[in-house]
Amino acid sequence: MLGVASIVFLGAVAMLVVGWVRRDRPGLPFLGENEKANTILVVLFGMAIPIVILVALFVISDLVLLPETDAPAAGSTAMTITVTGHQWFWQVRYEGKDAETANEIHIPVRTPVNLQVRSADVIHSFWVPELNRKIDTIPGQTNAIELYAERAGVYRGQCAEFCGLQHAHMAFRVYAEPKARFEAWLANLRKPAREPTTPLARQGRRAFMRDGCAACHTISGTEAEGTVGPNLTHLAGRETLAADTIPDTPEYLFRWIQNPQAIKPGVKMPGLGLGPAKFHAIVAYLTGLK
Amino acid sequence: MTVATPPAAKARLDRLERIWKESPGVLGWLTTVDHKRIGILYFFTSLFFFGAGGVEALAIRTQLIGPDESTLSPATFNEMMSTHGTTMIFFFVVPISLGAFGNYLIPLMIGARDMAFPRLNALSYWIFLCAGTFLYVGVFTGNAPSAGWFNYVPLASKAYSPGPGIDFYALSLLFVGISTTLGAINAIVTIFKLRAPGMSLNRMPLFCFAFLAVSFALIFALPALSTALILLELERLLGFHFFIPAAGGAPILWQNLFWIFGHPEVYIIILPAFGIATSIIPTFVRRKMVAWPLVALAEILVAFLGFGVWAHHMFAVGLASATTIYFAAASLIIVIPSGIQLFSWITTIVTGTPRFQTPLLWIIGFIVLFIMGGLSGVTFAAIPFDQQTTDTYYVVAHFHYVIFGAAVFPLLGGMYYWFPKVTGRMYHEGWGKASFWLTFIGTNVTFFPMHILGLDGMPRRNYTYGPEMGWTGLNLIETLGAYLLALGLLSVFVNLAVSLFKGEKAGNDPFGGDTLEWSTTSPPPPYNYAVIPKVSSPYAMWDTEDREEDARNLERGRKVLEQGHETAASTAVDAEWDEVLDMPSNSAWPPLVALAMTGVFAMVLLQQWFAAAIFVAVLLCTVAGFHLKEPEEA
Amino acid sequence: MSSIPRSMEAAGSGPVAAVERARRTQPSGWWGAVLLIATEATLFACLIATYFYLRFRTDEWPLGGIEKPSVTLPLVFTAILVATVVPMFLSVRAAKAGKTRSAWWLLLLATAVQATYLGLQIHLMVDDLHSFTPQANAYGSIYYALLGIHHAHVAVGLAIDAWLLWKLARGITNYRLIALRIAAIYWYFVAATAVAVVLTQLYPSL
Repeated sequence: MLGVASIVFLGAVAMLVVGWVRRDRPGLPFLGENEKANTILVVLFGMAIPIVILVALFVISDLVLLPETDAPAAGSTAMTITVTGHQWFWQVRYEGKDAETANEIHIPVRTPVNLQVRSADVIHSFWVPELNRKIDTIPGQTNAIELYAERAGVYRGQCAEFCGLQHAHMAFRVYAEPKARFEAWLANLRKPAREPTTPLARQGRRAFMRDGCAACHTISGTEAEGTVGPNLTHLAGRETLAADTIPDTPEYLFRWIQNPQAIKPGVKMPGLGLGPAKFHAIVAYLTGLK
Repeated sequence: MTVATPPAAKARLDRLERIWKESPGVLGWLTTVDHKRIGILYFFTSLFFFGAGGVEALAIRTQLIGPDESTLSPATFNEMMSTHGTTMIFFFVVPISLGAFGNYLIPLMIGARDMAFPRLNALSYWIFLCAGTFLYVGVFTGNAPSAGWFNYVPLASKAYSPGPGIDFYALSLLFVGISTTLGAINAIVTIFKLRAPGMSLNRMPLFCFAFLAVSFALIFALPALSTALILLELERLLGFHFFIPAAGGAPILWQNLFWIFGHPEVYIIILPAFGIATSIIPTFVRRKMVAWPLVALAEILVAFLGFGVWAHHMFAVGLASATTIYFAAASLIIVIPSGIQLFSWITTIVTGTPRFQTPLLWIIGFIVLFIMGGLSGVTFAAIPFDQQTTDTYYVVAHFHYVIFGAAVFPLLGGMYYWFPKVTGRMYHEGWGKASFWLTFIGTNVTFFPMHILGLDGMPRRNYTYGPEMGWTGLNLIETLGAYLLALGLLSVFVNLAVSLFKGEKAGNDPFGGDTLEWSTTSPPPPYNYAVIPKVSSPYAMWDTEDREEDARNLERGRKVLEQGHETAASTAVDAEWDEVLDMPSNSAWPPLVALAMTGVFAMVLLQQWFAAAIFVAVLLCTVAGFHLKEPEEA
Repeated sequence: MSSIPRSMEAAGSGPVAAVERARRTQPSGWWGAVLLIATEATLFACLIATYFYLRFRTDEWPLGGIEKPSVTLPLVFTAILVATVVPMFLSVRAAKAGKTRSAWWLLLLATAVQATYLGLQIHLMVDDLHSFTPQANAYGSIYYALLGIHHAHVAVGLAIDAWLLWKLARGITNYRLIALRIAAIYWYFVAATAVAVVLTQLYPSL
């Protein structure tokens, strides 16, 4: 398309240059003043040639290529993942496997996956540019596309429909990995949260459950069953926080829970004002959730 | 017209001047019904909103100059982004095209003395002023809308946008929609009925064909937006349910209604520019437009075909394949009438003997930018490509090339072209050329890199981006380009402002224009034409025998309507003289009706229903006042 | 040029009728009204399209267990409104022929029936509100929005009628005749939309 567009553009500019060069001579080069020729030129370049190019464009992209981007037929793939867009994070469920995470999707390489997208609030758009087209997530309906990675690697995705204050910080990662590694990851994801191993971490778990975090977050295997915010069961196994806004390290995690608004102004997570000691404890607990 | 006017003719002109002169001073302007004054009022008000939209644009670009900047908070950025689009489209480009250029020039080009409904014309202006003020009261009180100019639900619903910002958006657009609808009606009736007897449709300037097409498009497109806005406000203010799935509503309903309006709207934005281009080109290349009938037909077709393509804005929404394929095919068809016009313009330039003065430069710039914007637009009809590039900076590039490059450049060229006619003075040609080049370069530096950013994955409407994305360099270039562009635009307006006071006096026809307005004085007298002009072709000024016959008619008092405030009305197609119409003069009712309407909208916004009902009653009274004095009693 | 009518000067039934006969094309005001009606008709088309868009997204319609609308009274009332097209048409014809008094009485008759229609329809709507509200669900919302916007158009028509009755009582001019013609086509439009709206409203029961 770029080639054809460049030819059209340069051709038109060339004609304008001819107009400038011949500005003192009326009529066309070679043909002189000939209204019939002028009209034929207009019809040829304005109608006939465009029709040919446009029909070709239409046939190639919309009749030949387009079906390849269709969502997979129901039941034709080995795996179905449901992604739900929230303001401003991605909830990821592996259907039939009782496994949930957030802001990260792992898929086996070279395996078509049925990706169903939904929304919990406003319209978002699921987009992994290197893997497939965009698909909007619309409250009240479920859309679907196929997720398929030919090569192993990490692919960045982001929200592509304006969804409010932190639309710019609503990204996620797709990890396409060899089947064995994927299976291991999924198996771990299905397990309930690890028990804290140090006194500080245990203190952190108590604070998490009692001081407000559990109202919004789920940690499976504990009494935290909130669904407002992302699932944190295996938070320490992730590489990023806050929808790929900051890295998932203890330092960033501390800064995040101490004052989310400073990193992602407008985010729905409040700063709970629990004081540095408690926050350190919570960080100790959460960094154990591999 | 350098021959001294003979005494009998002069007496006629003096009498006409006395009949048509409006009240003096500020009161005269407040109560004006003269289309030229109304055009000037529209012009300056639209420019004010252009400035506001420009400030918003510079704020956006400043925030995006580098990664993770905090010049604007996300909330402020979202407001800037929303008000920029809303202001530019509804309060700048359409009003300046239809209200300033259309109002000023249509009666002059068709040989009439005013628009068909002069008081309605004034009312359209006052409503526009009130509606724009209404929106900006919201902006300045910290209640700007922040869900984008396209305002998708559910984000724009009460649950996710609880403040009054969206109500300011919706009500101000409903409000200004009344102005635009009335303006469109006025233009259609004027073009069909008030053409000088003898100006059959095939002798009407192409400018008028473009404005006829625009006006019809507005008539049928605006109601879709009004419906969407009414449903939204019923939902937000009165708890109705149209868009909330839990209550049986549909979020996509908003998108369908919005784009059924929104797509024709973009052709509404560009058609006046086509009209201006078709006026400037023949004058400066000194030959008639190649394939004139094809161009006229193409202008009408663009408006018509624009109604069948709206869902190409919704290819990522999850519509059925067959639906997306239909809309892609329909979108491709529109390329044809645009292509016909483009090649007609280019062929006319090549086969003419062009003088590359400032107005023509802007049109050449327009042609180049329109081709680029059109090509990127065509790429969206390749659905898989669209589904990657929609909602990225590639789209932002595309529409700025077509809206800014292709719609605004002719407006700027038109400002230069008709500046001598409106003010009686010439602009400075050297500065004119410089201002063109500054603006042209600034436009490309700002918007071309956006194609690349979009293809590189940068989504639109993002208030910031990370340093690791690799988008930093191009964003910096774009921001610098935006400042250069602002400088270019500033130089245009400084040139025009200074020339207003210091420019050389211009005669009636400094460029050798092809249409009737160049036959009268600069500026035109309040009655436009003393004599009903004789018209044999769309290039009335180049038919010198006709213009000589007009001079003879003036001397002998033939075809001079001078018994009162009169103009001629003709049949729609063949322009056979049918009636002599009495035109109104200064009236206070238009601004009063507009004020009453403002009261209604303000009370609805504040949810003061009883007060709103009172203002509706006041509105009905002012409308009645409008009709109290009949032409017979004038 | 002397044969071209100065139409605005016509006052009194004779001159006005003469101008009407002489004019070859429709007056500007009439054209303006036709275009305004075109925008309003498009508005109703969008609202009716909205109704069916919402309807075909669901199996159950009306939603939320709301009862299907009763058919008889709305159809009867609509027929009453459509019938007023006749006196409106005759009123214009009389005015064009110079019979201002007849035109006035016919307009009065039409107005009375139109006002009765509006009163009856509002009564029906208040009744409906006792069973379901617009805030109940999307069905209720589009039902009342469609009806309410139609009734608003009827109310505006009555205001136009009232104005004309007042003005025509003082005699006829070219301006007032054009206004009467505009009022007539406005009512033809309102009657047509009444039919479209009532058929949409009653669609679940048809």
